[in-house]
Amino acid sequence: MQETPEHPPEATVSVHLRLNGIPVTIEVSPNAILLDVLREQLGLTGTKKGCDHGQCGACTVHLDGRAINACLRLAVMCEGQAITTIEGLANEGLAAGDALHPVQQAFLDHDAFQCGYCSPGQIMSAVALLEDRRVAGDIGTVREAMSGNLCRCGAYQNILAAIQDARLRLHGQEGGDDA
Amino acid sequence: MSATPEHHVVGRRTPRVDGEAKLTGHADYTVDHRLVGMLHGYPVPASIAHGRLEALSLDAARAMPGVVDILHHGHFPDLHRSPNSMRDGDAVSEVRLPFEDNRIHYHGQYVALVVAETFEQARAAAFRVAPRYRQEPGAMPGLAASDAEGSEAGEYTRGEPELAFGLAPVILDETYTMAAESHVPLEPHATLAEWREQDQRLVVHESTQGVFYQRNALARIFDLPEERVEVISHYIGSGFGNKLFMWPHAVATAAAARMLGRPVRTVLPRQQDMMTTGNRPASRQRLRLGAELDGTLVSIQHDSLTETSMVDHYVDACGGVTTSAYACDNVATRQRILPVHHGTPCPMRAPGEVSGLFALESAIDELAVALDMDPLALRLKNYADQDPQRGLPWSSKHLDRCLEGAAERFGWAARDPRIASMVDGDEIIGQGMASATWFAGRQPCAARVTLLADGTVVAACGTQDIGTGTYTIVAQTVAELTGVPIERVEVQLGETSLPAGPLSGGSMNTASTLPAVAAATRDALAALKAVATGPGGDFAGLAPESLGVESGALVAEGRQASFAEILAHRRLADVTGEGNAAPGDERREYSFRSFGAHFVEVRWDPGISRLRVARVVSSIDVGRAINPVAARNQVEGAIVMGIGMGLLEGLDYDPRDARLVNANVSDYRIPVHADMPEIDVELLDYPDYRFNELGARGIGEIGLTGVAPAIANAVYHATGKRLRDLPITVEKLLASDEAPTGL
Repeated sequence: MQETPEHPPEATVSVHLRLNGIPVTIEVSPNAILLDVLREQLGLTGTKKGCDHGQCGACTVHLDGRAINACLRLAVMCEGQAITTIEGLANEGLAAGDALHPVQQAFLDHDAFQCGYCSPGQIMSAVALLEDRRVAGDIGTVREAMSGNLCRCGAYQNILAAIQDARLRLHGQEGGDDA
Repeated sequence: MSATPEHHVVGRRTPRVDGEAKLTGHADYTVDHRLVGMLHGYPVPASIAHGRLEALSLDAARAMPGVVDILHHGHFPDLHRSPNSMRDGDAVSEVRLPFEDNRIHYHGQYVALVVAETFEQARAAAFRVAPRYRQEPGAMPGLAASDAEGSEAGEYTRGEPELAFGLAPVILDETYTMAAESHVPLEPHATLAEWREQDQRLVVHESTQGVFYQRNALARIFDLPEERVEVISHYIGSGFGNKLFMWPHAVATAAAARMLGRPVRTVLPRQQDMMTTGNRPASRQRLRLGAELDGTLVSIQHDSLTETSMVDHYVDACGGVTTSAYACDNVATRQRILPVHHGTPCPMRAPGEVSGLFALESAIDELAVALDMDPLALRLKNYADQDPQRGLPWSSKHLDRCLEGAAERFGWAARDPRIASMVDGDEIIGQGMASATWFAGRQPCAARVTLLADGTVVAACGTQDIGTGTYTIVAQTVAELTGVPIERVEVQLGETSLPAGPLSGGSMNTASTLPAVAAATRDALAALKAVATGPGGDFAGLAPESLGVESGALVAEGRQASFAEILAHRRLADVTGEGNAAPGDERREYSFRSFGAHFVEVRWDPGISRLRVARVVSSIDVGRAINPVAARNQVEGAIVMGIGMGLLEGLDYDPRDARLVNANVSDYRIPVHADMPEIDVELLDYPDYRFNELGARGIGEIGLTGVAPAIANAVYHATGKRLRDLPITVEKLLASDEAPTGL
């Protein structure tokens, strides 16, 4: 253990975000992780902490439209950026509404979850890959692209079916089945 | 069941009633709860596995911003140990209290709990706590590193297995080993504890598979009447057994809340979660089989050694499945346990039997090779038409149908049994199979159902939904019996303020809970009929039993009145029914088990040393599936976990000092999307009404049993290498000294 008995008084930093479409300013400590700030300070607990090490994907959110692990990002790094969480996926706002995004609906229809804890992360990754033209739609590619999101209940088969069904609903095209 | 066939909800594909809450982020898991004035706990784990805590320097940590208190051996209340009784419902996972003394028994054991105003402050201060240890030599890193035989923990014998083994013309004597596994529920263990001074009440939110067990254990530990302890668990981010019984973090957190007079929440960091909240213990199993030349089994001897910890006596009974798996007159199982310097093991999905079946179903495959017999034919040859252990008929056994049906869908008949004989491009195809089985049990359960004047129904039971679909199947049962649309049935679970419900474990929940819910529903309907036929009622003067139930209404004499109308006309807010259910005498007449079969295709690409499971075809008989969608999901998920067990998962303990090396979900590898094979699951539909009125036996565990041996048997078929040590990694495959094939 390092011997560092002296500490500066805790300073906080102002960070301006566009969170689920709403401009917000937050005061965070410099060592606060985006995931913890979303959950503890902003009350957006739909984003889950599974490993806190960027290994499980349960904390996946969109940062300027890209899927990231919120546990690997300091909140102070997000100045001026747009963040979308599961609560803001179907409709803008800081509280989850009742409407379902087509990917959420597809997860419901295909029973693409069991305990539900990894589901917000799975859904945020799925939405990002469906919107990313670089990611091909075949099963093998989708499985590879989703492999950062662990589901210990093992609902992978239904998650894949949900994503491919949502692809049809969103883009009107089949993904292909060559694994 | 009273509803007309077209109105059947039980047995129908029904979307989960909690789906929207989970998929929108609304669902309140333990880690999502916050209270005003809440503090954050962060444990400090021991960095050694065996020794003593000589000193704990706290000055630097105490000086950190926001630190409120630091609990440790010298600063902790004088609590009792839980009696740890299954019968009394106060079983705990680790009996030793946190900070009980200065001895260290395993890597990760808590030496302190830092409590601070924010999570960041608690975490930062925890890294400033400076323990000084005296490490002691002789740490036991696991049974794989030892020849120790452990101590007796149970045995069973029928017939003369030694004698029969000695006389058998064909014998097999092999040893199978398995690494310890981690449950890795995606929601880490978490406790939010609040001590309410005004009414001397302890209220605890916990991610648990058993709210009542935890309530009772906390009551004993804190010397409180059970009525003054409340445990809440609305949503659980899965458990697989390691959230059945309470762990020390909950005791430490509750103690902190009471000491400090403020709510305290502790969410275990993943690393600590994997070090301190149980594992499926490593096992070493010796199988001795004796058979006639026609394949008739004449002797089975199954000797098992499993790990326990230095502080508890956990028995993972591997031989429990062997006593009734095959029609064989001479069977012996012996179980021993060996204390090692790990955190205490605990049940993990299909505990004991899934390990036992790895050994048994691998050995049967080896015997088939020795006999030059088809392994499917060998299993059918020794089919147990009745329970050979108890001499009783099975309530409902269709394993033959599972084996033959899955074999046909898999295309087993086209399998060329010669090693490495089936090739597709660069890949060698291996095909293997194994049987699956898990016992069927029930626990006592109470439930309450309330019919409300607004036309809705509330069903309440103090059990849990750990992701298996309990919320949904309770709603289905109530909807079935009342004819009320499922959207208007509210289900309340996961609170000790509700009628006492069972553990979510052992695949017992469905068969335990639904009969109680059905009884409570009928009781509520009887109360409503009494209202309707009483003075001023819609059916005043009629006999209550002359009333029928249809679509949320009572009917008689060609007219009907809705539940809501009946209650409104008598100016009543609601009527309530209570129901209880428990196992009866059925176990004296029948043995109850579920059965199934897995057929697995692996693909081995020797050019790039890639081994993968490509295809799994399974047939499973669990009686009736209340919700076929959720039931199939359970089996598919269990197969995925079986792929992890077969190829990927193992806790690595440093052989020098027993420290856990891979306590994270990258180095401890669980299956990901890219590991997925094609999975084809058939659920047979033979309702088991001898077991309960719903005909369901439960489905959580069985899908995992038999997957790993089917994989191992397929690997043998592809490579000619018999890997008897799980997980079957590519490294082990390449290092195997048996003659390589296909290279």
